[in-house]
Amino acid sequence: MIELCQATKRYGPKEALHAVDLRIPEGCVLGLLGVNGAGKTTALNLMTGYFPPTSGSVRVDGMDMLTQPRACKRRIGYLPEQPPLYDEMSVAGFLTFVSRLREVKDRDIPGHVKDICGLCGLEEVAGRPVGKLSKGYRQRVGIASALCGDPPTLILDEPTVGLDPRQVVEIRSLIRTLGETHTVVFSSHLLPEVQQLCTRVAILHQGRLVREGSLEELQGGSRRLRLEALGAPEKLLPALRGLPGVQRVLPQETGEAGVTAVLLECEEKAEISEALFRLLCALDAPIRLLAPERDSLEEIFLRLTAGKEAP
Amino acid sequence: MTAIWRRELQAYFFTPVGYVYMGVFIALSSILFHLQILQQRSSDILTLISLMSYLWMLLCPVLTMRLMAEDRQKRTDQLLLTSPVSLAGLVGGKYLAAVTVLLATVLATTVYALVIAAYGALWPGEAATGYLGFVLQGCAFVAVDLLVSTLCRGPVTAAVAALGVNFSLWMMDLVADTAPGWLSGVLSFLSLYSRNEPFLMGQLSFASVLYDLTVIGASLALAIHVLDRRRWR
Repeated sequence: MIELCQATKRYGPKEALHAVDLRIPEGCVLGLLGVNGAGKTTALNLMTGYFPPTSGSVRVDGMDMLTQPRACKRRIGYLPEQPPLYDEMSVAGFLTFVSRLREVKDRDIPGHVKDICGLCGLEEVAGRPVGKLSKGYRQRVGIASALCGDPPTLILDEPTVGLDPRQVVEIRSLIRTLGETHTVVFSSHLLPEVQQLCTRVAILHQGRLVREGSLEELQGGSRRLRLEALGAPEKLLPALRGLPGVQRVLPQETGEAGVTAVLLECEEKAEISEALFRLLCALDAPIRLLAPERDSLEEIFLRLTAGKEAP
Repeated sequence: MTAIWRRELQAYFFTPVGYVYMGVFIALSSILFHLQILQQRSSDILTLISLMSYLWMLLCPVLTMRLMAEDRQKRTDQLLLTSPVSLAGLVGGKYLAAVTVLLATVLATTVYALVIAAYGALWPGEAATGYLGFVLQGCAFVAVDLLVSTLCRGPVTAAVAALGVNFSLWMMDLVADTAPGWLSGVLSFLSLYSRNEPFLMGQLSFASVLYDLTVIGASLALAIHVLDRRRWR
């Protein structure tokens, strides 16, 4: 488990991350979302111990990154946005080096490298120099290097950026496979990708954590209800607007005469279904449909990051 | 540290750097051997070592230029600094790789001593002392140039800067000759060349050994400090 506790990072006078509290439970696939400059890469770099926080702390499985860096780093594999590769080395040679770096015993290294190559689909290019590989394969080598030493947590910074559509699908499939056995944290701009792969989402904006939770938690706290009732809109709409807890009533097209369809925007945590039922009974307007309208991740993201974009 | 040492050692010979360094060093030292020993019909190996020691100034930057600066430029430092290896292990591994290539080069030059022993008169103790000073001086140059590489953003900048620093260290001797008394003393005390003169007279000077080891230790400690400070900025 990784925890950022009041983690703040300043680059000179610029504050890239402000007092972020984030707890990443074991076994989850967490998507870190944010516009450019939101602090995603800074947060990932703090988690991996690439640099320390200006204030606050980073803990990995209860250990402090500052006081026990080696033990913490053993538990984390990292793929930065630009994979850190030595172009002159062969794929197998590079993975052997990273395995040594990550304290895999010499006698176990050949088998370990072979397993990782198999998992990441690198068997065919194992003998080729890294510098001669396509971008997709380089990304795979980057992910493979993050797997060396078998760390329980993988941190991937925009792993699909700059890849062609086929490579994107392949890398996503690989992340999905890895997510079954590892805790995975990855940053992305692509909301559908996060929706496809993640069990939890954290949204950063201007260096602050503005929302964190499972996709259901993020979408489930919906404040909108879709209502269809039998009755004339002229009669029902004014009554609905006067209902306590309702902020806005947005009429919707139905195409049927004598049916009123609306989207009700309610106050946070307002429980209006009982009052709504009683009101519509009083108006003799039977309910045909009453369902919560879930926000898409895109809508949630846009709402939470609506402020001025970070420079 | 062993993993870094092995990778850096491989990197010297995956790229032309190692071959260029060893090839140029051996070619230039062969010219010096020809001019100083063969042409003059001399057995004075200490003079040869004294002349060869100037090659450190010119060639150590080739050996050290990419050690730290290239990782910074290509961002491969992200791999190293997020791995379970200490900064001391990182700097130490890279330093030892450069020193290994340096020692291999020095080993190749011992053929000159063998030729002198075969066809002239060689005092083994004198030659061993000379070589000890020669190696320590080379190791000190490597440490200083590694520090320079840590401070630079790219290998070319690191090479040029290291050459400048090495040249300045050599110039210290020249300046010391013309400087006023106290300054001359300070410059001579700090000079990597004048401090190693006892070795070139066949004397095993512990002060000089200590001086070289201090330069090495201080440079490596500073390199570690620079890396650590950069992470906090």
